[in-house]
Amino acid sequence: MTTDLERHDTDILILGSGGAGLFAALHAQQSAPEGTRITLAVKGLIGKCGCTRMVQGGYNVALGGGDTVERHFMDTINGGKWLPNQDMAWKLCEQAVVRIRELENEIGCFFDRNSDGSLHQKAFAGQTADRTVHKGDLTGIEIINRLMEQVLSRPIEKLQEHRAVGLIPTSDGSALSGVLFIDMRTGKLRFVRAKTVLMATGGGPTMYKYHTPSGDKTMDGLAMALRAGLPLRDMEMVQFHPTGLLAGEHTKMTGTVLEEGLRGAGGHLLNGAENRFMFDYDAKGERATRDLVSRGIYSEMRKNNSSENGGVYISMAHLGPELVREKFKGMVKRCADSGFDLAGGLVEVVPTAHYFMGGVVVDPETRTQMEGFYVAGEDAGGAHGSNRLGGNGVANSTVYGGVAGDVMGQDVGHMNSLRDPDNSVLAAEIDRVRQPFAKKPANIHELRNQLQNVMWDDVGVMRTKTGLERGARGLGDIRSQLDGVGVASDNLAFNLTWHDWLNMASLCDISNVITQAALARENSRGAHHREDFPDSGTMESSYFTVAQQTGETLDVTREDVQFTIVRPGETILPDHEPETLVANP
Amino acid sequence: MTEKSENLSVAVWRGDQSGGLYEQFDVPARQNQTVLDVVSWIQQNTDPSLSYRFACRVGMCGSCAMMVNGEPRWTCRTHVKTVLKGNRLEVAPLRNLPVIKDLATDMDPFFDKWVASEGAHHPTRSRHDPIAPVDPTENNRKEANEGIECINCAVCYAACDTVAGNPDYLGPAALQRAWTLYNDTKDANRNAILDAVSGTDGCLNCHSQGSCSHYCPNELNPMKAIAGLKRASATRFFRKGS
Repeated sequence: MTTDLERHDTDILILGSGGAGLFAALHAQQSAPEGTRITLAVKGLIGKCGCTRMVQGGYNVALGGGDTVERHFMDTINGGKWLPNQDMAWKLCEQAVVRIRELENEIGCFFDRNSDGSLHQKAFAGQTADRTVHKGDLTGIEIINRLMEQVLSRPIEKLQEHRAVGLIPTSDGSALSGVLFIDMRTGKLRFVRAKTVLMATGGGPTMYKYHTPSGDKTMDGLAMALRAGLPLRDMEMVQFHPTGLLAGEHTKMTGTVLEEGLRGAGGHLLNGAENRFMFDYDAKGERATRDLVSRGIYSEMRKNNSSENGGVYISMAHLGPELVREKFKGMVKRCADSGFDLAGGLVEVVPTAHYFMGGVVVDPETRTQMEGFYVAGEDAGGAHGSNRLGGNGVANSTVYGGVAGDVMGQDVGHMNSLRDPDNSVLAAEIDRVRQPFAKKPANIHELRNQLQNVMWDDVGVMRTKTGLERGARGLGDIRSQLDGVGVASDNLAFNLTWHDWLNMASLCDISNVITQAALARENSRGAHHREDFPDSGTMESSYFTVAQQTGETLDVTREDVQFTIVRPGETILPDHEPETLVANP
Repeated sequence: MTEKSENLSVAVWRGDQSGGLYEQFDVPARQNQTVLDVVSWIQQNTDPSLSYRFACRVGMCGSCAMMVNGEPRWTCRTHVKTVLKGNRLEVAPLRNLPVIKDLATDMDPFFDKWVASEGAHHPTRSRHDPIAPVDPTENNRKEANEGIECINCAVCYAACDTVAGNPDYLGPAALQRAWTLYNDTKDANRNAILDAVSGTDGCLNCHSQGSCSHYCPNELNPMKAIAGLKRASATRFFRKGS
């Protein structure tokens, strides 16, 4: 079946055009020997798909005024409940300082200023300093628009609407040869060889009934890495944002984020009887951290204390509708466009799957165990441990995207030739993506609803062994149903239904890994909450899970966290340094 | 008629570069429903071969703009109730751009013009320098801020009759980006920007019909930005001439 395959060669191939992919392209161009071919391949349009663009809050970086890289690092380790890879977390905090200057000075971003002209910084939950640089509540648009312009104006080869479907190794499996794509506009398959490949496709837990990420995100990257036999860590760690818009099952608006600042500013959460309830769960009420508020809301929903569509309400009107309209202009307008009055009325909300802390095991240079294969951004595990702080996501993707570009630019100079693919793997991947053409077409959307319900009910905000095992059986059933569902193949150009099928395949595979990793972690840490194992375990005995597929077998093991920089109970902050620098934490 | 049995009557343009025609679909009406929801419902339930593009669902990425009842709109943030005529809806690919298939257009010409307008920052500092202090109340900065939230959805580009008449015209979004950069005190090459936008296909083509500003879903004002570029180009011309 490889006869009608189009073939293409490049030197540096980058998958994804969020903060990581775009920075990698720019840095690779700066660091690679002259004449190096650089190719950027994206599932959607450059700069438009992916989630960096959707960043509202901002970018965490220690820029003085008492704040330090050490303090940012300690917040990241504490927020991740001592699970982060400390060398990765350190590099994230240290290099964010360089990257924010690069964004402002070289890329041309403009972030909000204080009246003295310096950058304005605010504190998100879990931070002990005013650290988050932002552009209003649309920070991601500013970052990605500016990066996109820089990339578009450079001689970088662009493969837009090219969906990566398979990592193709060399015959001995030790190195990567290239990546199999579907050119979505024509439906043709294209195999691209490269000396180095960066995977920066973004995780994105869209297998949950309520989710925030962009519609193009379906865990394709991690599913490819799983099939390629690479180890994946922290796969049970799914972050839920407490306030996703709930507008019914028939609209894509449902699940999208209503920002954290609404609660911070004094917004109330009300149950179905319109009573506040968060103080029943935590002394900080609505101002508690994301995981606690998500569990509070979920508990109310389970008690059937829920709103019309099965969530709870957020209410801002007591702060004065005019003030709300002024302070949260974007949110108020978005709600109004969708038919809701955020400033003066009640808006239904529900916890929503937001970010995936799990990912491919990498070193702080973004290298993996496979030669020629690098991973950065949400596809890479380790930097956030069991929970990501708000504002650390875009810092992570831009820092490590840049690192990957630098490292690939250097490595490519030592790699003399392209590598030949294992043709049996290539043929198997081609068969895999063409599999649905032989079957009778059926409704894939119904199956995706089933998947999202199973994950929400059994592998969601609160977990038990019984529920997880029921979830695993449900997933097995959905996967076998998917294998029986066909797609009409008469016109493969821009065939979204074929891609829906492939999306489902990726989501099913990774959902299974999440479930197995959640079974393997018999304690509650950060985003992972086991009702049958509510204790966190001692920080000294912290372990992380590693999932790896060999043939048809998935193994999940535990590895001890290496405290390479700081041990639990200790700090790297100087003596007498105050616990927090935030005036009203 | 009860809410349950109510159907929307939706005409959807189907075809590719070689041409196309409208096909008719019945779609169940819902309480909360955007135009994008309607298009997706058709692909998921009635015609799996329908092509369209979307990503973020919340008006941030600018991927899903289409012609809705003849007007350019972001479909993810357009509630059906606000655009329905009777119970009818007509959806077509964005105007002034080549069609790939059905409702999906090729946005490359739009972005080529963004680059041609010198829409990428010209640095004055590097990552090794401190970040420049900028007074947020200073006039140039306020002017730049007005256009900074553009999401490049191409709604203004589709609305522009000048683009329709002259496909080489740079168009409102690219020109607004140029004006934003021109006012950015951090930018090193304001002359290059004026050179790029004052040529044959540049800002002087604009007839100030204002469709760009009328349709911008983020309530930006490209027409005003283009007027600014016209003034700056003229000022420079006379200075050069004297």
